[in-house]
Amino acid sequence: MFEHTDVIWILVKKDFKIRYRNSLLGFVWSLLNPLSMMVILTLVFSFLLKSGIQDFSVFLLSALLPWRFFSIGTMQATGSIAGNPSLVKKIYLPRQILVLANNLASFFSFLMEFVALLPIMMALGMRLTPALLILPALMISEFLIVLGTSLALAALNVFYRDFYQIWEITLQLGFFLSPIFYEAKIIPERYLLYYSLNPVTRIIESTRKVLLYGVFPSAFDVAIPLLAAFVVLAIGYATFRRLEPRFAEVT
Amino acid sequence: MNVIQVEDVWKKFKIPHERKATVLDAIASTLALFGGRRSTFEEFWALRNVTFNVLKGRSVGIIGENGSGKTTLLRLIANVMKPDQGTISVNGRIAPMLELGLGFHPELTVKENVVVFGAIMGLKRDRLRKQIESIIEFAELRRFEDAPLKTLSSGMQMRLAFSVAVETDADIILVDEALAVGDMEFRKRCLTKFKEFKDEGRTIVLVSHDMGLITEFCEDAVFLSQGEIIAKGSASEVVQQYIRQVESQASSNPSIAG
Repeated sequence: MFEHTDVIWILVKKDFKIRYRNSLLGFVWSLLNPLSMMVILTLVFSFLLKSGIQDFSVFLLSALLPWRFFSIGTMQATGSIAGNPSLVKKIYLPRQILVLANNLASFFSFLMEFVALLPIMMALGMRLTPALLILPALMISEFLIVLGTSLALAALNVFYRDFYQIWEITLQLGFFLSPIFYEAKIIPERYLLYYSLNPVTRIIESTRKVLLYGVFPSAFDVAIPLLAAFVVLAIGYATFRRLEPRFAEVT
Repeated sequence: MNVIQVEDVWKKFKIPHERKATVLDAIASTLALFGGRRSTFEEFWALRNVTFNVLKGRSVGIIGENGSGKTTLLRLIANVMKPDQGTISVNGRIAPMLELGLGFHPELTVKENVVVFGAIMGLKRDRLRKQIESIIEFAELRRFEDAPLKTLSSGMQMRLAFSVAVETDADIILVDEALAVGDMEFRKRCLTKFKEFKDEGRTIVLVSHDMGLITEFCEDAVFLSQGEIIAKGSASEVVQQYIRQVESQASSNPSIAG
């Protein structure tokens, strides 16, 4: 795998160029999307429903950005094997490369979105504190969760294209089942265990702690996502390896 | 010295029976995914008991009618698929030219595509950067180097891909007949290049229906029919045998001959 770093980076670059080429606004679209979501959700929850959450825009963006990375990252990677039949059938590359390169491109988009929206979040009440130093750990945990999920989805998608639609619906539900426009503490105690099984939940909560409240998340808050990341990655990779030998026959 | 050793290789394919005629069937077979009934399929041996060796620096032609297992064999050697039984050992680095322009994207420029396809073919990035000029020169596409690939004719795209592919420094080159789709000029170029590879002592495995090409270019040949080796050995003899077999089949089956 490591002898293929050249290929990985070239594929990441290619993916990146294709995402933004031939569009007038290019990268600006990836900012307008969360911004418009922020405006409409703030309007609904702050002004109409009066949720009473302080600095609702930042509250929202701090969750929306990691959520977007999870949903776009996994969605885009789902077709990364099935959508590249010639790279699977006509040459031998470790197939994980295709998923990894796709995820890395999504990850860099996410980082760029994050940096570009920082000034807006700061203007709207985000806190600039040393707690921000913990963000890379959260982002890396999320990257590993995305990678693990993507490996499983991309492999399954080779055999059953339905996984694309299944995942699309799952993500739609996931948006409401993650603490994006509400806080996890409103979930009734007896459902909390099931609710916390969503690996993105704690990432969102910890990111929010850092950005909005300027406090260091507890060691627990950082360790759990990292642990979850390794579990998801192990399951995803095992699924991928199990299905991989037949990729070339099916794609 | 053997650079490719194929020993008692068997490869099985599953041909699914398509029976998702109704929405209900489709749902049923989707549910089968979660542990229930699976849709039925037929097994079919694409390769049976295939054994042969390729010596270093030799050129080997693989011939046989359509569906005889030639491409499957090439894919197994390229490590794209795994045999169900038997072993394939390869001694050296392989450049599979089974398809030209892998990873080409119509929106990217000619130069960008050279980098992508070059990397996929295993050219090293620092070397590729130096080679890029000569590749574009060789493809005669200097004027188009910053144009999106989609503005090139398909012939020009082939020329570009070929120019990248032949920069390979691999010891073993697998060539599929797909390359034969170019015009006369392009074919001549391919041949000159392959002869150069040969003179450099590289090993070439060539799948083709062009018997003239095989006898002219290869020392050895393997004749496959329905997944089994019918003959192997000197190219001219194997080609003779293949032609005899095709003729005898044609005469015993006049409906096809006509």
